[in-house]
Amino acid sequence: MKKILFAAFALLISSVAMAQIPSVKVEDGKGKVINTAELVDGETPMIISFWAVTCKPCIRELDAINDLYPDWIEEANFRVVAVSTDDARFTAQARSLAEGHGWSDYTLVYDKNGDFKRAMNVQFTPQVYVVDKNGKIVYSHTGYTPGGEYELFEIIKSLQ
Amino acid sequence: MRKVLLSLLIASSVATSLVAQNDTKGYVVGSFESNSIVYVDDEVTQAQKPEGNFGTNNYLKADYYLGNFSAGLQLEAYQPALIGYPANLEGARLTNYYMQWSDGDFDVTAGTFYDQFGSGILFRTYEDRTLGVNSALMGARVAYQYKNIARIKALWGAPRLGMEPAKNTQVRGVDASLSLSNLLNMTDMTLALEGSLLNRFERVGATALESGAKPSTMGYSARLNFEKSGFGAKAEWVDGGEKMYNNPNPIPGVTGNDYLIKNSNAQLLELSYSGGGLGVSLSARRLEWMESKISNSSYETNNALNYLPALCAQYSYAITNLNPYIVQPGTTSGHINSGEIGGQLDVYYNFKRGTALGGKRGMKVNLNFSTYYTLKEEGSFVPKTLLWRNVNVGVEKQVSRKFKMQLLYSMQEYNHSHGVGKGTWLSNIVVADLLYKYTPTFSTRMELAYLTTFEDKKDWMSALLEVNFAPSWSLFVSDMFNHGMTKVHYYNAGFSYTEGRTRVALSYGRNRQGMVCSGGVCRLMPAYTGGNLTISTSF
Repeated sequence: MKKILFAAFALLISSVAMAQIPSVKVEDGKGKVINTAELVDGETPMIISFWAVTCKPCIRELDAINDLYPDWIEEANFRVVAVSTDDARFTAQARSLAEGHGWSDYTLVYDKNGDFKRAMNVQFTPQVYVVDKNGKIVYSHTGYTPGGEYELFEIIKSLQ
Repeated sequence: MRKVLLSLLIASSVATSLVAQNDTKGYVVGSFESNSIVYVDDEVTQAQKPEGNFGTNNYLKADYYLGNFSAGLQLEAYQPALIGYPANLEGARLTNYYMQWSDGDFDVTAGTFYDQFGSGILFRTYEDRTLGVNSALMGARVAYQYKNIARIKALWGAPRLGMEPAKNTQVRGVDASLSLSNLLNMTDMTLALEGSLLNRFERVGATALESGAKPSTMGYSARLNFEKSGFGAKAEWVDGGEKMYNNPNPIPGVTGNDYLIKNSNAQLLELSYSGGGLGVSLSARRLEWMESKISNSSYETNNALNYLPALCAQYSYAITNLNPYIVQPGTTSGHINSGEIGGQLDVYYNFKRGTALGGKRGMKVNLNFSTYYTLKEEGSFVPKTLLWRNVNVGVEKQVSRKFKMQLLYSMQEYNHSHGVGKGTWLSNIVVADLLYKYTPTFSTRMELAYLTTFEDKKDWMSALLEVNFAPSWSLFVSDMFNHGMTKVHYYNAGFSYTEGRTRVALSYGRNRQGMVCSGGVCRLMPAYTGGNLTISTSF
């Protein structure tokens, strides 16, 4: 049984194509359900960052991007989607943190049941993706080291 | 059931891989994580070691997507499990597998899946690898959404306990949500009514039946969700149905009093406001006999059918987590306590650039206050004994282009007997977290912390130095020192290397016995010393 399973699994792996933004349900700041596929608008690339209230490096990374955002947006057209992986208990706290950190230019979504996180295979936060205007994932990075945000911007520029 | 699902999964994966070679749009994503520790002797901390001085937890997950269809699986291997993890995690197994079909309105899932009703007080199945929790339901779920007005889902299954679905437990549930604001076309606000029903079935033994335990119990919850111009309110009322607890003082020779049957209930209220750089949230929660187990005969951390996290400040510095708050949903072991009541206030404010306090680069402030008590008596809303209290003040400031400073003050008062007695330990903690960027990609970060208390092990201090070469390398050394009493150094050093989606981290050090917490839920970790290798990748 196990052997067959592993064989099936290997077959599955061998059929890898370019990964795309999956279509799962998350909530916006008002508790309205939105489909993640709708984040793709066919015009602008995105930085998608998975974060949590308890994840210090995640907040550091989003703060760093936020500080540079006014300069970057002059050079390239892009959006930042911050996906809170906090469960229902911490959603209110996540919302106030985003407000108190001035992330007003970000698209904030809340993945309370972890569906988006699982579909994107996020194991550790911070996990960041760069996605082109058609929803294709062109780059991703696990963890944050200060300064890592410059690499994201280089990729965003190459997608213009 | 298992076999049918498995064969379906295999058939579909073979079929889809054949299709995929014909260049359809199907694609596979997956991830692998391995966490291994080599344990060494350490007499100073009386470090524990498993047999063979080695432990390793491994997870392989893959998902396949083709249009509206998706399927996936997860393999787990504990050879053996790292110490401190639930004992029911052992060996290698295909633990999770599912198939799902979804279009805009319908969702059908067969196999293992995660779900929750409301905030999870009544029901939640989830995965948290830090805690060794994976309670995925093995069964089926159907969900339907009518425009943006109504949502309903029905599910049935056996929750996973350890490496496989629980043998004697099954749950059935329905959850529904109605958006009144969308129904009545009120565009400037959100108003929704929600409700859930949950039936839990577990075979019970003859002595439990004599005590009045029922195999089948019903729980339900009603919820309200409101949002308008930055102001939000959420209310949840839960009746968890009858729960079975061991009777700590059974009368000898009398039948039918080995167990106590308790009616469980919970209330939650959450108010929030966000706007103009200010974020405020206030929550209050009361729990009575609310512990919900997958199996009544297991005592592992991963034996939970609901989610009751500590609603207090969540700390990310080691020294602030020496005595984290452990939720008291009701217990009869050791002493009888019917539950807890308490609340939390959390405030974030952003002093904008150019203001008096904000200066040139702005300043962020966070305040947190929380306090929890045992219930005076069953059915009561009156608090009795203090379980936990914290006051936190955090300030974050980009001082110059190169230098960023975060300061935290935390006062924690912790009832070390969890409500049996009134005695508490009071600690005052200060942390300075200093980041200096020499070049855009080369930086150092230093954490200096001090904890002062007259109780327990007296004063602690800690320091950490991190050297970062973005985006790939990070090195650290740290030490946490109990100079108030034991004079033990808990040292650690290590590095991590990240290349795209692959991360490798290696560290060596001494770890104290204590609670490991994730998302407000904790498990006890024994003291250990050793080398830790973590590899994670996704594709």
